[in-house]
Amino acid sequence: MSEGVMAVVKPEMKSYIWLQTADGSIQQVEEEVAMFCPMICREIIQTGMGSSKNYAISLPQRVNPAILGLILDYCRFHQVPGRSNKERKTYDEKFIRMDTKKLCELTSAADSLQLKPLVDLTSRALARIIEGKTPEEIRETFHLPDDLTEEEKLEPLRNITDDPRIRLLNRLYARKRKELREREKLKNVEVEEERVDERSVEDLLTFINGGDGESKGSRTNKNKKKNRRRRDQPKNSSSEANGNHNKELDALSPAFHDSGASPSKSTKLQDSTSVSFSPKLDFDDADIDDDLDPAMKEELDREVEDFARRLNSHWPDRMQEILSLGQERRLLPMSINGDGSRRYSTAALSGLEDASMQFAATEAVEKLAIFSLQQRVSIFVCFNIIQMQCFILWESMYSGMKKMLEKRRKTENSRMTTWANMLILFRDCCLLLLLLVTFQP
Amino acid sequence: MEPDRITNLPDNVIEGILLHLPMRDAVRTSILSSKWRYKWATVPYLVFNKVFCPFYQNPTDITSKIVSIIDRVLVLHFGVIHKFELSHREFEAVSDIDRWILHLSRRSIENIVLEIWQSEAYKVPSCLFYCQSLTNLELYNCSLKPPSIFEGFRKLERLDLQNVTLEQDFLENLISSCPNLEILYLADIKGLSRMNVNAPKLRHFDFDGVLEDISFENTFNLVRVLISFLKNVKNDQCRALRNSSNLLKILVNLPTIKVLKLQEYALKYLAVGIEPHKLPEPHVELKYISIYINLNNHEDSLTFLCLLSTAPNLDELEMTAHPEEQTIGGIDTNFWEDGCWNLPFSKLRVVKITGISGAKPEMDFIKFVLLNSPALERMVVEPVFTSDRWELVTKLLCFKRASNQAEIIYKNP
Repeated sequence: MSEGVMAVVKPEMKSYIWLQTADGSIQQVEEEVAMFCPMICREIIQTGMGSSKNYAISLPQRVNPAILGLILDYCRFHQVPGRSNKERKTYDEKFIRMDTKKLCELTSAADSLQLKPLVDLTSRALARIIEGKTPEEIRETFHLPDDLTEEEKLEPLRNITDDPRIRLLNRLYARKRKELREREKLKNVEVEEERVDERSVEDLLTFINGGDGESKGSRTNKNKKKNRRRRDQPKNSSSEANGNHNKELDALSPAFHDSGASPSKSTKLQDSTSVSFSPKLDFDDADIDDDLDPAMKEELDREVEDFARRLNSHWPDRMQEILSLGQERRLLPMSINGDGSRRYSTAALSGLEDASMQFAATEAVEKLAIFSLQQRVSIFVCFNIIQMQCFILWESMYSGMKKMLEKRRKTENSRMTTWANMLILFRDCCLLLLLLVTFQP
Repeated sequence: MEPDRITNLPDNVIEGILLHLPMRDAVRTSILSSKWRYKWATVPYLVFNKVFCPFYQNPTDITSKIVSIIDRVLVLHFGVIHKFELSHREFEAVSDIDRWILHLSRRSIENIVLEIWQSEAYKVPSCLFYCQSLTNLELYNCSLKPPSIFEGFRKLERLDLQNVTLEQDFLENLISSCPNLEILYLADIKGLSRMNVNAPKLRHFDFDGVLEDISFENTFNLVRVLISFLKNVKNDQCRALRNSSNLLKILVNLPTIKVLKLQEYALKYLAVGIEPHKLPEPHVELKYISIYINLNNHEDSLTFLCLLSTAPNLDELEMTAHPEEQTIGGIDTNFWEDGCWNLPFSKLRVVKITGISGAKPEMDFIKFVLLNSPALERMVVEPVFTSDRWELVTKLLCFKRASNQAEIIYKNP
């Protein structure tokens, strides 16, 4: 309000209080609005200040003019005695809709003015913002410095809430610590090698056929065995390992072919992937007990080390994407409805398809060049049949899924969707191979 | 780099923020940044309820998990603890609670809420009675035994005991030795047959259970009373001894009462010894009466009428029909229509009548109220589901009303 307002003659002689903020600007407010604030009220009563411009009450430093405006709006609304509780509540809800930066400033200012209802309101709003977020999100929202040292952060969190995820996080952090140390030692080792997938097509076929009847658990077991066998191979011929990892993550696709090595990843990426890895590795609560049985423990160990190793190896960004897609896909089977998963699977598939097609393309080109025409034709027919069978099977599964949806049997449904997805993917691979075989010059 | 605004808020503000977070999120803030590492540990409110500890798949583990969590939190926490609440529904009573209460008694605890939902009553240890800074005590499913030397809780303002076992004398002793007691809620107290409430500062009193006798003493600040007797304990001996009615006896000690709620069989208790010519003094502050009554019973209706006559400034009346199997002492058919009841409800604004079935005494009563309440604004009638409820409505429409602003609202059962 400017001084000019004073010149307007008002029928009711309202008295005004003058307030001065820390930056020197002076405002005038209606008396009853200002008196709603305990600190201003006290100032007026005790020192008699505020009655004119020269004797403006100086407000604490934390109150700037913009925030003062907000506070006065609040006071203006609430000091009217005739409002119902509902009205006040609705006003409050609308009032605190502002960005967090302003909210913090408002809290601080309200506290310095000792306006307790407003402090409560803003505290509750801030609590609501914090609630349910991960630490990274909270840090981002409030621009908190991430200044706990690696070591401090990796100190096993006091397991206050006994969250299985926190326990897993602890374990992963412990392993991460080991990795950190190892990395320190191996800092100068060059790690650029080409990856060659030595598996043959028959291997691929047997794998696919063998994988049809297995459950999730045994599949992972199979992958583990493969891991162990390949361990003596050089660090980055880990397309196998990559493939295994993806299988673990429930993306049934053949191993990827990494054509190029990209520069090393920053620690941040590793951090974020390792941290994001854990919440997404959504084991059933039933699987994780206080004392994991040794098999599970080993599996966990292996997976983590695998993952860490893969992080150290040089993946193109694409692979990272696919990895995360694969991870999310794993999440999905846990909590689903049929339609959602289908929609999602098509999205996930597109990423995976590209990869699979890429692989399929390159491999096919290499492998099939050596076959004669007759062999090619037979392969063609073979693939055709397999592809059609897949499709038929998928159709029946889909109708089965629909029936189950109606009966609402979720667990069955999720498993079915997994298999359905795999079938689709496989069918597409076959299709592509077919095309290549047919049209290869 | 955006400045960090939240960490530099004053401590009391951050405490306020953490207060509004459930325990789990509050503790998680410890890994946000170095300054936030121990902020959660000074928040003086420890609430362990369902929100704090979500449902685990095997319930037998829950108790041990909660025990370990509370142990750790109590050790890591520093500063005073003002409130400790343990009300998780899956938690079973264990002897660890004794240890915690002992620990709390050394931390100037002010508010203890202990609810044991599983297992049998938990025997509260005697160290609870040494928490002299206690202002609020709430127990559910416990059993209390007084220590050898019990001086009372000097600062106790609110006491809430539900489903608690304790001795008769101990309860009276407890109440009278807490000079600052303002709110007293008792429900399902086992081992209690009569009660004498002696608390000078008591303002709210709620009782729910079965008693032979209740009396108030020295309760001149009592503003709100709710009595709900689940059974009518007929005590003919007492009746013979008494020469004054229970109603008189109770009301004489409640001079400042504003809200009186008598539920279930409470009115029957008050009806003992009623005499229409010995009316209690007018209670000018009595503004709200809520009552469960069987209008077919003569004594009940008489008591009700006497009660109404002591409330000249009655503002709101709520009546719920409370049918009984045997009607002892059938009522005179013209009880309410007799003009000798001269009770102008001069300030009565709102009347709520629930559960009636359209019997003559009930309709007479409604007619009586409508005729005598010139300031009536609203009457809400909600009968039980009977086949002739439309007759009820037609009768209602016929009644003459003293107030020209009265609305009669019929609520479908």
